[in-house]
Amino acid sequence: MVNIIDVGLGNIRSIEHWLGRSNLLYKRVSDVSSITNDVIIIPGVASAGEYMRRLKERNLDKEIIVRSGQGQKIIGICLGFQILTEYSEEDGGTECLGILKGFTKYIDGYKTHNGWSAFDFDSRKLSKNLHFKKQRKKIVSGRVYFNHELEVELEGAHAAKLDNGITSFFIQDNIFGFQFHPEKSQNTGQELLELII
Amino acid sequence: MSFRIGATVLIDLNGNAVQSYGFKKKRILGNVQKVLKFLDAYEVDEIHAIVPLKGEGDDKSSDIFSRLSEIPISTPLGIGGGITERNIGEITKDPFFERCIFNSAIFNNPELLQKAKSIMGHQSMVASVPFIVDDGLKIYHSKTNSFKTMKDELWKEIESNFNEVLLLDASAEGDKKEFNFEVFEYIKFPIDRVLISGGLTKFDINKAKKMGLAGVSIDNFALHSEYSIRALR
Repeated sequence: MVNIIDVGLGNIRSIEHWLGRSNLLYKRVSDVSSITNDVIIIPGVASAGEYMRRLKERNLDKEIIVRSGQGQKIIGICLGFQILTEYSEEDGGTECLGILKGFTKYIDGYKTHNGWSAFDFDSRKLSKNLHFKKQRKKIVSGRVYFNHELEVELEGAHAAKLDNGITSFFIQDNIFGFQFHPEKSQNTGQELLELII
Repeated sequence: MSFRIGATVLIDLNGNAVQSYGFKKKRILGNVQKVLKFLDAYEVDEIHAIVPLKGEGDDKSSDIFSRLSEIPISTPLGIGGGITERNIGEITKDPFFERCIFNSAIFNNPELLQKAKSIMGHQSMVASVPFIVDDGLKIYHSKTNSFKTMKDELWKEIESNFNEVLLLDASAEGDKKEFNFEVFEYIKFPIDRVLISGGLTKFDINKAKKMGLAGVSIDNFALHSEYSIRALR
């Protein structure tokens, strides 16, 4: 049962459609007591300040940090990825969850990054990661959709970057972060889902 | 960043996708669910689903948006038409879309724009700017159903509040009359954040690509498969 964090923000319904198309069971979680020990998804499409405020209001911030430390799989998408870092420049500066060492900053020159980029992923490179689903299909190749103005900078971590230097995704142990929107990346996003959950 | 080939879908208050011609006549294309699913299968780069209220009152689109939320598409979606202070909480409580498209609020409702930004993030904000070029640039204001002279100060507000602008050539809408590129003589907004729509020919699409625009949004020609999306990319 996939847990989708629901603080009244983020494109939760799109995440549900994405999971539903792959026949995965899911539920929305709005409070600490309803989280199960399965995957936790933190959706995107919101602003960092308001999202963190609502997480804290419900003590979900601390719960996610504790569970990530215990090895529970966390998937952050777009803003959900950005708030896994320690700090974001959005909304005048926002303290985030600090699960990943690094920060989130405006793309140089306050530019925006909207549209589709090529995506190639070979799960054999992560064969030692026990949180990665093992299955016959190992490669996902296609294109993925981005819509963001801030980007993640991770300290000392090897993240997949695009030609323009933007961190596209990061996977380490139980933490999966995607700057793009796999739930809105058509077939590529669906194939990726079936590898990661 | 890749040039985007999006599709605009206009929705009437009965939940039908409609084609509008020159901002006047309308023709029903069919059930919006079928249209969105078709565009999703066709893998357009994004969909702009707009309820064109044209002065008809602004709360009538909530039911339409509620129905849209049940359609399981995997293509990026922007919605617009009738997003107000009264319904924005309800609409954004359970979003099934990535982008909010505004028109009337551009002119006189900074509070609503601020609220939308704080909930959805600045990256989600799209300004819908239907225009005509007639002794200068005039842009459409849906609440009053009229075209107004575009003032320079408004561009500053648009740049501050919006991530992208969707320019619609109102006089060429629904036809392949050619998009009026003269509009760019008046635009004070970064062109790499501009999408264009209305009257687009293949020549126009290639020209937009060469100019470095963010992309185009084509109307029912996509539905009729008159354009190959992959070939245009």
